[in-house]
Amino acid sequence: MRKLILTLFIIIASQALKAQSAGYAPVTDAADFAKFKEQFTAIAKQTETIKSDFLQEKNLSMLSEKITSKGKFWFKKDNLLRMEFDEPYAYLMILNKDNMYIKDGQKESRLSLKSNKIFQQINKIIVNCVQGTVFNDDDFTVKLYESKSGYMIELSPVTKGLKDFFKNIDVVITKKDYSVTTIIMNENSGDDTTLHFTNRELNTPIPDALFAIK
Amino acid sequence: MRYLLLSSCILILAGCTSVYKNLQPATGDINYIEKFRPDFNVALYKAEVDVIGHHLSGLLLIKTLPDSSVRMVFTNEVGFKFFDFAFTPDGGFKVYYVVKQMDKKPVIKTLKKDFELVMLRKQDIKTAYLAKDDSSLYYIIKKQKGFFCYVTDKGGDTLKRMEIASPRKPIVQAIMKNYTNGIPDTIGISHKNFSFTIALKRIER
Repeated sequence: MRKLILTLFIIIASQALKAQSAGYAPVTDAADFAKFKEQFTAIAKQTETIKSDFLQEKNLSMLSEKITSKGKFWFKKDNLLRMEFDEPYAYLMILNKDNMYIKDGQKESRLSLKSNKIFQQINKIIVNCVQGTVFNDDDFTVKLYESKSGYMIELSPVTKGLKDFFKNIDVVITKKDYSVTTIIMNENSGDDTTLHFTNRELNTPIPDALFAIK
Repeated sequence: MRYLLLSSCILILAGCTSVYKNLQPATGDINYIEKFRPDFNVALYKAEVDVIGHHLSGLLLIKTLPDSSVRMVFTNEVGFKFFDFAFTPDGGFKVYYVVKQMDKKPVIKTLKKDFELVMLRKQDIKTAYLAKDDSSLYYIIKKQKGFFCYVTDKGGDTLKRMEIASPRKPIVQAIMKNYTNGIPDTIGISHKNFSFTIALKRIER
């Protein structure tokens, strides 16, 4: 029992420490939480398209290694996503509703998202974040943290399948315009995948052809 | 009918013949093969794996840690991890993580053996011997079942291929070439008894 209490204490303390170390404090007041949710959802609702550059970092903690990838990101309501990797090699991924297209060098593949749970989840997380529907997702419990310049939503998976993949997912949002700047997917092993979005353009027209799966 | 029976017998006998039966004993230093052992300080590869109609692609990072264990992490392009294995200094093998779909004994055993072959690990030189044919030298290391075989040119300067073999024929063939500071640029592994290939191409960082 003593061990259990100690373990729980360490877990709670480490979570609090993580948030504090980045200058974040938990938002516990229900009214503050509701106010943020309302503003974030309202702004996300106005978002029809997003065009952005991205930097992806795979942090392998035990190996003290970081694998960096870069590329371009396009999103269009309701469920269209295009990620074009330029580094470390050319790789194109299009998610169009329930379908997925991948171009890797000369190799093209078309898949159904229904049979690819992990891509389905990654797509869902990104789309939920940019559409502001993240608070309505039953697959996660949500905690909110606040710093001087921004907010961080911490998503903790509820379902067993998701728990196998992620410890939690942190979504960093700037206070300036409530845009998502960073998504950190933390694994149980201590490794994480971090997506940084830069040079964001909101609601510029993006042709549907960019998301077409032929 | 008699001809049919005769030709069937010949075919069956030919099927039983070992592809290694014409090798001649050779003399030389068996330890010479060690020079082809890759020295993975840290290397990143673009990896493509094709297994029975399924295609996986992504990045394979291989790193030697301070305790001299060799760690291998395979993720897809969006960072999703397929496996995280380590070859430990005492010759052991540790699974740190493997995705549920790959978490099957035969899959892990096959991957372990394939990488043992290309990393020239767990080689018991005491049971090793040299053989040759007209064009190649064969460094043969006996295993419980069959053997590992490293085939070089006659001078032992170029590693032509590596094989995991039954007494009669290769089960796995692999290549490893274009070394820079001990790290190969290209590694290819191909299974002969079922459709399974691994292709690795080094990425400069």
